[in-house]
Amino acid sequence: MYLSLNWLKDFVKIPNKMRPEELAQLLTLHTVEVESWQTQSDDFAKVVVGKVLSVKPHPNADRLRLCQVDVKKEILDIVCGAPNVESGQRVAVALVGATLPNGLTIKESEIRGEKSLGMICAEDELGLGIDHEGIMVLDKNAKIGQEFAAYLNLNDIILEIDNKSLSNRGDLWGHYGMAREISTLLKMPLVPYLKIDEKLLIPSGKEKISVKIEDKRICSRYIAVKINNVKIVESPNWLKEKLAAVNVRPINVLVDITNYVMFESGQPLHVFDAGKIQKISIGLSKKDEGIETLDGKEYLLPEDTIVIRDGSEPIAVAGIMGGANSAVNENTTSVILEAATFDAVYVRKSSQKLNLRTDASMRFEKTLDPTLPEKAWQKAWQLIKEILPEAELAGDIVDVVNFDLNQEQISLDFSWLKKKIGKQISRKEVQNILERLGFLVEINKNVLMVTPPSWRAVKDVTIKEDILEEVIRIIGYDNIPTAALSNALSFLPENKELLLERRVQDILSGSGRMLEVYNYSFVSESSLSKLNINSSRYLKLVNPISEQQALLRQSLLPGLLQNVRLNQFNYSEFGLFEIGRIFLPLPGEYIKDAKGDFLPYQGKRLGLMVAGQDTNKVFESLKSYVELLLNSLWPQIKSEYTALENLPTWVKSGQAAAIYCHGKEIGVVGLLDDKLANNFALKLKTAFAEINFKELLALDNILPINQYQESPKYPAVIRDLSFVVDEKMLYNDFWRTLISFHPLLIQAELFDIYQGDALGAGKKSWAFHLTYQSNDKTLTTEEVDLIQKELIQVCHDKFEAQIRNF
Amino acid sequence: MKNKLEKLREDFLAALDSVTDLSSLRDLEIKYLSRKGELSGLLGGLKDLGIDIRREAGELANVIKQELQLRFNETKNNFEKKAEKNSQLDPTIPGKKIEGGHLHPLTLLKREMEDFFATLGFQVMDGPEIESEFYNFEALNVPPHHPARDMQDTFYVDLKNKDGEYDLAMRSQTSNTQVRAMQKYGSPLRMIMPGRVFRSEATDARHEHTFYQLEGMVIDKDINFAHMKNILEAVGKKLYGPETKIRMRPKFYPFVEPGSNGEYTCFLCQGKGCRVCKNSGWLEIVGCGLIHPNVLRAGGIDPEKYSGFAFGFGLNRLAMLKYGIDDVRLFNSGDMRFLKQF
Repeated sequence: MYLSLNWLKDFVKIPNKMRPEELAQLLTLHTVEVESWQTQSDDFAKVVVGKVLSVKPHPNADRLRLCQVDVKKEILDIVCGAPNVESGQRVAVALVGATLPNGLTIKESEIRGEKSLGMICAEDELGLGIDHEGIMVLDKNAKIGQEFAAYLNLNDIILEIDNKSLSNRGDLWGHYGMAREISTLLKMPLVPYLKIDEKLLIPSGKEKISVKIEDKRICSRYIAVKINNVKIVESPNWLKEKLAAVNVRPINVLVDITNYVMFESGQPLHVFDAGKIQKISIGLSKKDEGIETLDGKEYLLPEDTIVIRDGSEPIAVAGIMGGANSAVNENTTSVILEAATFDAVYVRKSSQKLNLRTDASMRFEKTLDPTLPEKAWQKAWQLIKEILPEAELAGDIVDVVNFDLNQEQISLDFSWLKKKIGKQISRKEVQNILERLGFLVEINKNVLMVTPPSWRAVKDVTIKEDILEEVIRIIGYDNIPTAALSNALSFLPENKELLLERRVQDILSGSGRMLEVYNYSFVSESSLSKLNINSSRYLKLVNPISEQQALLRQSLLPGLLQNVRLNQFNYSEFGLFEIGRIFLPLPGEYIKDAKGDFLPYQGKRLGLMVAGQDTNKVFESLKSYVELLLNSLWPQIKSEYTALENLPTWVKSGQAAAIYCHGKEIGVVGLLDDKLANNFALKLKTAFAEINFKELLALDNILPINQYQESPKYPAVIRDLSFVVDEKMLYNDFWRTLISFHPLLIQAELFDIYQGDALGAGKKSWAFHLTYQSNDKTLTTEEVDLIQKELIQVCHDKFEAQIRNF
Repeated sequence: MKNKLEKLREDFLAALDSVTDLSSLRDLEIKYLSRKGELSGLLGGLKDLGIDIRREAGELANVIKQELQLRFNETKNNFEKKAEKNSQLDPTIPGKKIEGGHLHPLTLLKREMEDFFATLGFQVMDGPEIESEFYNFEALNVPPHHPARDMQDTFYVDLKNKDGEYDLAMRSQTSNTQVRAMQKYGSPLRMIMPGRVFRSEATDARHEHTFYQLEGMVIDKDINFAHMKNILEAVGKKLYGPETKIRMRPKFYPFVEPGSNGEYTCFLCQGKGCRVCKNSGWLEIVGCGLIHPNVLRAGGIDPEKYSGFAFGFGLNRLAMLKYGIDDVRLFNSGDMRFLKQF
């Protein structure tokens, strides 16, 4: 929203020596943030007053003329297309280098072979009107060479306020509301909004308007006034300038006046052509009801839209935009002026559904003061009468009142105020602040009783904390001292999940030397189909940014694969990990609301990705990372891989396994299928592991703290033994047999895998270091031999394993 | 036998004299002195001799063996000393490179803040990323169709409730965890709640639809505005040095009353005004306020007995300021050239 300093000065005295940045800072520190400010004359930099010395036809174009224009410093040749240019005229000349309000930048140019060193401007090019019929002809006495801004008397400063920061303050959506704030801050008196001669309100005729409100909830106030003998003419300059200052295009005198009053008071107004209306009714939209709005667009009205109708014909979308069928035009001679308060929620919903946000709808949706329409229509009428003296009120005004202002007294204790601020503020100062803001204040001993003014009572001031805010912001947050919190600590249980997350991150980025990545929570259907994943069971966004980011991820894999694709041109071998949530359409652990439902599942996963040149190496190194992690977390706990029954869709022929840790399945490791890698345009081989973080946490919670074990007193006997087995045999089944075979066989470490002609077709060999050790004595060769002999027999019986002879 | 030994001695010594470098010396060692060398071969032959000759020859063999070994060692030492003198060992050559791993810059920043708040007695809590309208809005004093919902463009999840309405959102702020924390732990409370949040807006160098916030909250008896200022001042000093000042101004957030924005002295220009602070001398860093009584009530805490304050930072913004990162999209890019710098 734009604020004109001159306009503010209509209502409050702002010292001339106050610099714009000081005013901006004052509002920023006490009311709302001023985003920027600018001097209005900046708009017309390099636009000057010139005098047309001569006009000659263009030799190569019938419609163009060659002009010589005196701009005092020099005489410029300018090609002009306007039919009304004549020698002797004073005109606005945009010099080379000027950028006009419509965005056009003037350059030295050649038009059909003739040089042109500037432009003679039309009104619309200067942002001063819509006229493009011809150039703007200035006053005969305009000073040649004068800055155009000075000619226009542009000396205003424009402040820009962030609309979003005003979303709770409907009262600040006009100059008067801001003037009220400034008057409070500067301790300067505020000029009353309206001073009207009561005689002006006496109607000349006895015409009646029929107004019916079908539903009291949707419209708390509706004032309709019929005004006859109006003329649709251009607005006087002062009015156009005011509107131009806040970036509003002048249209005609009646529309301009309604806009003027809106930007001043915050109350939107509308004018209908009275000749086109019989009976006004206000109700909710019906099925299939449509309207063509003022701007010529057709809309089908959404359900629960407030509609103004003439009989059964919609003539306006209430609070948003008027209809084309009832709009004023050059033939209009009488109008109905509407000043109403429509329900904020209805207006907001419809405006969103129609995707139509207007200056009016932005104000209505903030909840407006229902006493405001009265002042606003009177102000508008006052202006109409001033500009069009023949205009008259056709009859009594219609004023439907459906509201009951909830101006309840709010009472609070001075001691409460002190307790909340952390500083004593004098009673007098509190009273003073509130009264300047328009609150009624009564003090009874230690109790302050405050009645908010109508413009604050509708929405944002209802409880004592709101009063606290008013006091504290006017004093200034910067004037509040600081105070240390007490040292009494409340001991809350530590966040174990977070601590485990840190340990995992540290192991993988530390001794694992991997890189941590953060990927989006969203994936695309196309990237899932590349992985043979059916996306029908995926949660979707209603309003995604794009199709690439439309589904909620159910695995960290797609994101990590994209990371590989991005990085494979810069790095040939690397490991990445990510900890993040996945989302499933099942009830999860978080409560949704008081009804006892649960939010969708959104557990954390740890994803590990290894990329490199060689298939076997990436899979092996991925598993090394998994083992490094588990072993670093819990040095005494065993982990293993077991065959998976249901293979993930992305796995290369059987190359996936479940990760078991301490007897619990916690995740999966797998090698990416080559075809899918191709789909993803990967030139590197990749292996991926995904671990359920909750399972990891559960393990961490149940595992006892490692207990110290004395180092063995007696030497170990290590025997190397190589078994020849069928090539389809899974390692883990075999290993389990070895390790659980005898209490004295404490370790079986695979150190070599071999497959080759020497073994025969369909065979492979595994070579183990077998460690035998006792806590009670030194083992003899005979004891070890005996155990090993039985072991060989069991392996033979169970797996048809042969001992390999070298 | 004796002759053979003498011959071997002479051959060896002659060969030793003509050796010019360490590698031919090693060849010599293998030929004569190693376990399978000529000397061992001769000594192996001793067992075939008569006992007397064997003893005599054995003694001689030992003497010769010791002599040869001695001479060999001398020569070897000489060569090694020479080699040492001649070697070009450069002590300034770096070691073999070991590539380290890296944590994500947002992880680093999140930890830094968590650890800082831990010293002030704050516990850390996590919250859901798909959130109900209740916790994301209503419990935070933002009723349906309140214009404050415009302050954040929210993603909704395509899952309707029994009334046929979308009531699940990707949380637009970590404030969703405020009421969850109150319900879980009650009062008193000192808690920070870092996490991932989402806004439905197009991305460019300054805008991201997925980013990180850190929410903080203190609830106790008699908590006031001055306490909030104190903590936020401490945060500023921690982030930007002991000279850092805080400037607070009013700002509307529906879940606090009064609400405020806290700005810190720009650390780059010390408040003089520069490109980073847009010439204001201040960096807008934190949104904060005294917790609205409706929010306390939603969390089951009696606002007449307890009060509190809450605040929130954008972690991406803090990381961008700290590391001079100029494009917010880099955080979720997975680009290793970026990630390896932290």
